[in-house]
Amino acid sequence: MKDFSDLNPITIFIYFFAVIFVAMFCMNPVILAVSLAGAVCLFMLRNGAKQKRSHAFFFLMFIVMALINPLFYHNGVTVLFVMNDNPVTLEALLYGIAASAMIIAVLYWFRSFSQLMTSDRLLYIFGSVSPKTALIISMSLRFVPLFGTQAKRIDQAQKALGLYKEDNAVDAIRGKGRVFSVMTTWALENGIVTADSMTARGYGTGKRTFYSLYRFSRFDAVLIASSLALFALTMTAAAYGTLDFVFYPAISPPKLTPFAFIAYLSYCVLVFIPVIIEAEERLKWKYLLSKI
Amino acid sequence: MEILAVENLNFSYPLCKSKALEGMSFSVEKGDFVAVCGATGSGKSTLLRMLKRELTPKGDLSGVVKYEGKALSELDDYTSACKIGFVMQRPEQQIVTDKVWHELAFGLENMRVPNAAITRRVSEMACYFGIEEWFEKSVSELSGGQKQLLNLASVMVMQPDILLLDEPTAQLDPIAASDFIATLAKLNRELSLTIIIVEHRLEDVIPVANRLLALGDGRLLEYGDTRGTVEKLRFLPSLLEGMPAAVRLFGRLDNDSPCPLTVREGRHFIEENYGNSVRSLPAVSYAHSTNAALEFNDVFFRYSRELPDVLRGLNIKVYEGEIFCILGGNGSGKTTSLCAAAGLNRIYAGGIRVFGKKLNEYKNNSLYNGCLTLLPQDVQTVFLRNTVREELEDAKAEAYMLPYDLSPLMDKHPYDLSGGEQQLVALAKVLAAKPRLLLLDEPTKGLDAYAKRMIIDIIKKLRSSGITVIAVTHDVEFAAECADRCAMFFRGEITSLGIPSEFFAENSFYTTAANRMTRGYYDGVVTVDDAEKLCRQNGRK
Repeated sequence: MKDFSDLNPITIFIYFFAVIFVAMFCMNPVILAVSLAGAVCLFMLRNGAKQKRSHAFFFLMFIVMALINPLFYHNGVTVLFVMNDNPVTLEALLYGIAASAMIIAVLYWFRSFSQLMTSDRLLYIFGSVSPKTALIISMSLRFVPLFGTQAKRIDQAQKALGLYKEDNAVDAIRGKGRVFSVMTTWALENGIVTADSMTARGYGTGKRTFYSLYRFSRFDAVLIASSLALFALTMTAAAYGTLDFVFYPAISPPKLTPFAFIAYLSYCVLVFIPVIIEAEERLKWKYLLSKI
Repeated sequence: MEILAVENLNFSYPLCKSKALEGMSFSVEKGDFVAVCGATGSGKSTLLRMLKRELTPKGDLSGVVKYEGKALSELDDYTSACKIGFVMQRPEQQIVTDKVWHELAFGLENMRVPNAAITRRVSEMACYFGIEEWFEKSVSELSGGQKQLLNLASVMVMQPDILLLDEPTAQLDPIAASDFIATLAKLNRELSLTIIIVEHRLEDVIPVANRLLALGDGRLLEYGDTRGTVEKLRFLPSLLEGMPAAVRLFGRLDNDSPCPLTVREGRHFIEENYGNSVRSLPAVSYAHSTNAALEFNDVFFRYSRELPDVLRGLNIKVYEGEIFCILGGNGSGKTTSLCAAAGLNRIYAGGIRVFGKKLNEYKNNSLYNGCLTLLPQDVQTVFLRNTVREELEDAKAEAYMLPYDLSPLMDKHPYDLSGGEQQLVALAKVLAAKPRLLLLDEPTKGLDAYAKRMIIDIIKKLRSSGITVIAVTHDVEFAAECADRCAMFFRGEITSLGIPSEFFAENSFYTTAANRMTRGYYDGVVTVDDAEKLCRQNGRK
């Protein structure tokens, strides 16, 4: 079963880059609506019906952000009503809705992105550029939490020794200071053993490679090529102004030329690629199961 | 075939007058399993590091170490790194990367092995060691035993011919330790891997090793096949102390039959040579005082709301002036209950009383002053200063008040001390608060036999000066020797409780080697001392 998270990290990275880039720089209601729908769809598909609370929170955020713009920004020709001697315009309201749709869409994309891009996958991307940097990151990912737990242990040990009074602020701060200073010693001490363990296994005998669990399949190549092609199409249309949507002073949508239509369509395909992959896999699986 | 040869090796550390190793010569055959024993400071670790070029310390060196007839210094980088593997004591500190699979691949990455070959070797190794289940985990999620197994696997993945191990099981609990030794025996048997292991705890190692190398003060005392060497060594009390129970019993009885090494052989030895008309020693009665030092009443505790209970309705009563040992498996809640007693874990139901007073009635650290202290498992967490002297001044500890002498260690850095010395300094710091109740978490972890003996003596001295001691331990031999009462923990509750002779006599697995050797032949034997007395009373057949 090939679901979206089984792809090569580079593919995932490029895909998200393409989708988020367009969503962030195209203030076009169609693009934004597609992007928002796709982002929410992907997230729900991957997480199921869980996290209802966070969806409600994002919805609330969407409403608040959409309403803020017309309340503070009074440009536009169509006055809806007047509040506190200030006109509230339709254009400002629509702009507010578009802007908050963009923010929410990007946030949803990033939620999926951070779920998919675990530290292993990020390291793989670094590793293919510089194996050394990747090793340093991997070591810090290990060492930082270790440092934290040791500091906590020392703190507890010292507390149970009863050397520092808790109600005396000066004493407490001095105690924490000492814990911090001994942590440096501990880290160095620790570092020597780690360094020994590294040299014992041949570290430093020359250039090293970076191993990873991820393979680059033909499917990855196809997906990268299509993501980039769809991205290029949409961005060319955007660059030529075909997708420019004017909010102020009066709403003027771009003409729906064939080129614009193609751009919309290609972004739509791009956005729904992961949804299609996941849905297709699920169907296939169901079909197989029914046969088994 | 000879795989490793040491020829007239001498070594001294810089700024050190005495030699760390002197006139050392021996050779190791391919497929040998060599156990190296010796007291702390006899040069075991130094010797082991001499055999691995990358880890050889700086200092004055003469003589030569040869691998397959070639001096170590003439080996190329690849052979030196791959063919001689090294595993150290601390499982945590040896791990370099954050993920299990990455750690396995680390050595091969250094050797510029192509990705496809790494995949093959790593997957093969993961299968052999049973790592598959935690292959994609973070190393921080592993237990101590799993970490050490990972360290072994990530050395084995480089396909070494010789494996050097420096006290690999010192930081593990007994079950993980014997699993680890069993894995080594399997590697030795199935791959005819040459193994050289330095160990304090020889109970598990001696039966699987075919050669024994004994060191004393940097010199080679004996080297030869295990049984023969053990027989020669039994006259050296310092080495005998760390040997398996069967050997210790044999050493004390002065017998001329062949030396037993395992529990099975020990049993056979007793049955062959000694009668059993006297089956048990006179029962010792034990009466505790009536005042409780620590009381747990239906205590419940969990670390967070989502997690299961660690303590479930725990009831303990420890009386003033006794040594109380808590035994049990990993994760049974032993340490957790100790931390709860010290007020570090907040319980959610039940009550804890220390000397009859509820924990929360001790305001403003008065609990930790003149009442109760906790010595944690990792004693390094106790140290904050650069020398032992500062450390003791800091705690306002008076060295002359202690039941032991710390003066030779005064100007050393606490981290530079041996495990036993660290334990003593930490104990001194803890005793400075003049506790009436002392809580010890694994006081004998990683200690050699000599240091263990010393800790047992000190704990007994503390008891006679009126201090109540509660020790959480995995070490059954320790509990058998020093406890007044023992308790067995299982799933957050106490499941059995009693004085050692009854407690261990009723257990059939979780008991001392001396008890297992004499079960059914003698009754109520717990320590080697008991067994020796009974053998002598019954006399030779």
